[in-house]
Amino acid sequence: MNTTPTLPIPISYISGNYYIFSVDAATYLRREHHICGVLIGTLPLIPQQNVFLGMPLELMPEEARLLVEKGVACIVDEKKAHNDGIKSLLEEDRKRYIQDLESQGLHARRLQLQRQEQSREEALRKKEEKKAAKMKKSAEKQQQSPAAGDVAEENSIVDFFAHNQQKEQGSGSGSSSSRPSSIMVDEPYGITPTTSYPPLSEAFSDKLLPAPDVRSSYPLFAHLHSKGYFMSPGLRFGCQYMAYPGDPLRFHSHFLVSSVEWDEEIDLMDIVAGGRLGTGVKKGFLLGGAERKAEVSEAEGNESIRMFSIEWAGM
Amino acid sequence: MADADEAAIHSSSTPSTQEDTDLDDETQDFRILNNLTFARILTGTSLSDPSNASLPRRGEKDFEPNPTLHQADILSASRNAMHNALAHPRLHFPKARIIAVYSPDGPTPPPAPKNPEPSSQETGSETPARGPKKGTGIVIHPDACAYVINPKGQHFKSLGQADSWGRVWLLPEEALYLLERGTLDIRWPCSMTGEDGEGPSELPMSLQAAYTCFIGRDGLTVERFSVFSGLRRLGYVVSRAPGWYDSEEEVTGAVQARQWPSINGLFGKFWDWFYSSNSTATGPVAGLGIHRSYNDIFRKLAIIPWYDPVTPKPPQRTTPPFRVVYHIYKPSTTFKKTAPPPPDFRVAVINAQTQPTIPTLSQLGALLESTPLDPPRGEKMSRLLYMRLRHGYRNVVLAIVDHGVVSYLRMGDAAFGKERIYDKGGLNGPKKGGHLHPKGNGR
Amino acid sequence: MTVSNAAESPPAPSSVSTLISSTPTPATPYSATAAQVLHSLQHQHLWTSLETHPLTIPNSESPIYLISGIPPHRVYTHPDEQLFMLEKGLRDEDIPPERVFALPLAQGQSWSLRRMAAVFDSLSDEDVEPEISEEGEKAQKLTEYYEGRKVARATKEWGGKRMLLAMIDKGMGGDGTVVYYVIQEGAVKPRQN
Repeated sequence: MNTTPTLPIPISYISGNYYIFSVDAATYLRREHHICGVLIGTLPLIPQQNVFLGMPLELMPEEARLLVEKGVACIVDEKKAHNDGIKSLLEEDRKRYIQDLESQGLHARRLQLQRQEQSREEALRKKEEKKAAKMKKSAEKQQQSPAAGDVAEENSIVDFFAHNQQKEQGSGSGSSSSRPSSIMVDEPYGITPTTSYPPLSEAFSDKLLPAPDVRSSYPLFAHLHSKGYFMSPGLRFGCQYMAYPGDPLRFHSHFLVSSVEWDEEIDLMDIVAGGRLGTGVKKGFLLGGAERKAEVSEAEGNESIRMFSIEWAGM
Repeated sequence: MADADEAAIHSSSTPSTQEDTDLDDETQDFRILNNLTFARILTGTSLSDPSNASLPRRGEKDFEPNPTLHQADILSASRNAMHNALAHPRLHFPKARIIAVYSPDGPTPPPAPKNPEPSSQETGSETPARGPKKGTGIVIHPDACAYVINPKGQHFKSLGQADSWGRVWLLPEEALYLLERGTLDIRWPCSMTGEDGEGPSELPMSLQAAYTCFIGRDGLTVERFSVFSGLRRLGYVVSRAPGWYDSEEEVTGAVQARQWPSINGLFGKFWDWFYSSNSTATGPVAGLGIHRSYNDIFRKLAIIPWYDPVTPKPPQRTTPPFRVVYHIYKPSTTFKKTAPPPPDFRVAVINAQTQPTIPTLSQLGALLESTPLDPPRGEKMSRLLYMRLRHGYRNVVLAIVDHGVVSYLRMGDAAFGKERIYDKGGLNGPKKGGHLHPKGNGR
Repeated sequence: MTVSNAAESPPAPSSVSTLISSTPTPATPYSATAAQVLHSLQHQHLWTSLETHPLTIPNSESPIYLISGIPPHRVYTHPDEQLFMLEKGLRDEDIPPERVFALPLAQGQSWSLRRMAAVFDSLSDEDVEPEISEEGEKAQKLTEYYEGRKVARATKEWGGKRMLLAMIDKGMGGDGTVVYYVIQEGAVKPRQN
């Protein structure tokens, strides 16, 4: 989980937008570069809800550009990469890849059977415990939840196979829990891989695109990011970005961010609206942009950002 | 504090506002999933059953980072949980495996040797042209780009179109959605991988490949896809509306009965004329003469013209993106693919990056005008004024998408002018200080 | 152009006012916006020792007026400052109110980031050396507080330069409402109460 993927990380450019498909890359970018993106895909684990979403990770052009400028990532024209890649895929590579998938599917199947067996035993054990507890219920109001909690810690998400098992039982003959050994172990699961690499080769040299074009708010975005803020799109609060003091997984945002250009006309009502909305949700409204001095060298970059935090005064 | 309103905004910790907060308003702590998964396994409920989806409660978050080990541990646990959830593979149980084939050139009949009779003249390589393709017996949507070989399961009740060979053709958003949720195993066609034969190759399409091939295809922007999949995940049935293509003018779904003035109307017109002929320039607005009822006076005081959404207007051209692209059906609505009922909602999809401003009145007017008249109906509506106003006479939902974040706004065409407050003896609802409500003595 | 409460002796002029008073005051008409805000601060919010300070801002057709005065209560306390005070056992009302600057603006007035920055640049960021009139334990606490504040001022831990934005709406003749916002230089984390 704490692996570092090979750099630069390919960012997929598809039809005007930027995506990360590799889970390792997504985790790495979040951990090491404070780039969160927005998960837009369905989680196969729990597909009927919108609270937790899955891959791919959509990046704002600002995020993609920042990563390219840092030398952490490169932009790949994914349409071209796939069109060329699938057609020029060698037969032996394809066959090897399909074999690979098959053995992975077999592994998954075995793992699942194991889990099934485990959880069956677990259930039996608990049943016994319950019985035992009932027998001597006089002493305490003890529950078996501590034991349950421990198991949750260990198995947690990884228990996805158990979920599949239930689905099968539902759709299958409806037979009850006692049958693991009767299943043919050599039937592998089919797998829909998350990324196309492999089987496609990661030689991207002729599929690279320039760093994304970004809005005039990019300097402010980059500045806040360099100060350690985690940035995300601001639609929910009617601003350009949300700025978080730490990983949004664990922290509430501090600022509603709006960028203006140095001489851009500011409607004072926007300050009132932003300031009031922000205060209402315990956040500050941050207005800022790049200062245009007579002479500012490119290298100065960050030093020429001016920004102001606005809160309702309560009077 | 200048007024009570301002004080109220600070007390955001009242229970009511907390219940209002959307779970998906902010990034959720994936650690919640640990408990969720575990609980479900214990109780044996199926995760894919939306009816008993009791969503996890909002995780506790901190205000700001501090250098404690405790906080670092929680964060790292959250990230691990997230990683695990994201890394969960899309597995297909051998017996329940549903296989589809990507068809880059759109709907095509099956290879000739298998089924030579029905479409002998059509088998040649065709350029994907818009417009229904005949010859396959059933008109398959020209944008369909993958077909399912063994369609089974509940999803195909509301997704896809079957052709005469038992294959179900999917539009790009349908194919991508099913693959993404782990339901469908889409294969590259042999024609692309260079394998022998026709039909599905052994090579599965990855999620990445599916996004690459389906997003951007025939008007399917990622914003539209986000709306499609987001609503499908919640159990709605989503189908393309005629306004999907920017180039095509919408088929006016709003069938309006031309309204001829009735006798009553004619009489009313005369009455209006009679009353309004007293010029207000020289005398009281209410006119001279004897006034016997307040209602007459109020009617005469209504000198500002008001908008009536019911009066027929010449159809206007809608401008993208302010155009209905999806019809939405509630999970409770019985949906038949071949004869879809009138939709419960109509949705326009707007990219907040390319369209950062709210629509102009004429854009919004044209959009609302393109939806059928849907006046407030029912006992509740006729009783409750504000509900009526909120419902309006036409309505449309705007889905605004900012890099994957979707917000929905419902726009209703309210008719304030139709509500004659004076006719009803004031607003509905409990009267203040009324003796029927002895509780109301606080203020 | 100084409005001051007769009961209080005016404090030493701030660096801005000395800067302003050393330059000849232009004979421009008194800003109606500033007058309205001044009025609101004086009579609605009971500020004392009010002063106005004309500022010349680049690219601005007319001078901008800053208003300063002493509010009856503390207007703003940074969250970390609040924590520090809590640790020292000090409450807001234990600390004597200090001079606060307010920038009057009217809706529709041409405004930009450049102007905002120019107004902030004209504010002094030096800590006013406070006099402690209390005695005993409280004086000790206050001294500690002021020392802590001096350090925080240098590191900007408790926020940077700050003032109030006083905005009025003149649309339809205006209704006399003035709204006040705290504006600070830099990214200053929000208050949590």
